[in-house]
Amino acid sequence: MSSEHELDQLVEDLLSDPQHYGHPLREGLARLQQQNLDQLSRLERIARISDGYQSLAREQNLSLSERYHRQLRQLEKVARISDRYQDMLRDLNQALKDASQRDVLTGLANRRMLMERLREEELRSQRSGRPFVLAMLDVDYFKQINDTWGHEVGDRALSEIARVLQTEVRGCDLCGRWGGEEFLLLLPGTVQSEAQPLIERLRSGLRGLRVAVGSEELSLTASFGVAERLAGESYSQTLNRADAALLEAKNSGRDRCVLALGSGCGQI
Amino acid sequence: MTELNIPGSQSTPAIQGDWSAGVLAMQGDSYPENSFELFGQVIDWVERFLREAGRPLTLELHLLYLNTSSIKALMDIFDLLEEAHRDALPVSVNWHYDSRNERVAELAEEFREDCSFPFAILPVSE
Repeated sequence: MSSEHELDQLVEDLLSDPQHYGHPLREGLARLQQQNLDQLSRLERIARISDGYQSLAREQNLSLSERYHRQLRQLEKVARISDRYQDMLRDLNQALKDASQRDVLTGLANRRMLMERLREEELRSQRSGRPFVLAMLDVDYFKQINDTWGHEVGDRALSEIARVLQTEVRGCDLCGRWGGEEFLLLLPGTVQSEAQPLIERLRSGLRGLRVAVGSEELSLTASFGVAERLAGESYSQTLNRADAALLEAKNSGRDRCVLALGSGCGQI
Repeated sequence: MTELNIPGSQSTPAIQGDWSAGVLAMQGDSYPENSFELFGQVIDWVERFLREAGRPLTLELHLLYLNTSSIKALMDIFDLLEEAHRDALPVSVNWHYDSRNERVAELAEEFREDCSFPFAILPVSE
């Protein structure tokens, strides 16, 4: 750089020195120097324009990348919020499903859910050849509880009964409120002899139940009708036999369990 | 056209833009088939109001469920408000939600995160 500068200075000095005026080489040197200066300024212009383009491209790149990142952030936020709306809907769906399948008073399966499971079990039983057992349960003299103590006590008794039933059944069993003071137990993959000890457990659980009414305690019993699905039978046929067995238990004195045999009934 | 009045349907919110009062209100669920078509006119209205009206703009939102494209459209509207707020235009949002559904309030908070203008989330008890 400095040697270039020195050369420039030397040439300028030579050209401006009056003693070289008229020298034949001076004209050549002057034109060479002019050409050099022209090329230099041209080079600078090219460099400036080129730098301009480069910084323009750089700015564009920066603003593009900024826009890209802003949109990416927005997209992430949209996805996050959208996921949360979906979670909300899914939970709402679950709540609606629960509401449509649960009995409000006892929290047990309601009749709708029982029917659904009965249809499923019928198909499963047909496929596997394994029977299931239905136990219909009716609280004895429940009307008297309502009439004597009022509906509030009656409702409380039903809730307590439901709690006992739910505690005693096995994990795979379904216990639901069929209506009023009637409960239905669905015992999948079970034969009647396997169901008997379970029913006995339920009966003794209910016998031990005490519902507090003021300073008094209310005790109660229930009657059971039990039927095992027979090959080729629809669930409603099994249900009818369990119902008939329950009626038999009621008619023969209550607080007992009647097993539906193929056609008739047997008591335990 | 300075008034905006879009009746609601099962899948789209009812939308009213009151130019003289400076209020844009939306009520209901939003999962339109074509959210660009629906919210395009709303975004146009907001842009025009902010450009021409020179008065405060308030959004009164009673929105429940929003699908993904509606969320995007709403965020675009909030971006417009944020820009206007930076230019010192008075804008605000009142997001009303059913007090029995706190999760809608949480979602409104997510929207509010990037907004520096007044953004109130208000419980409504029925």
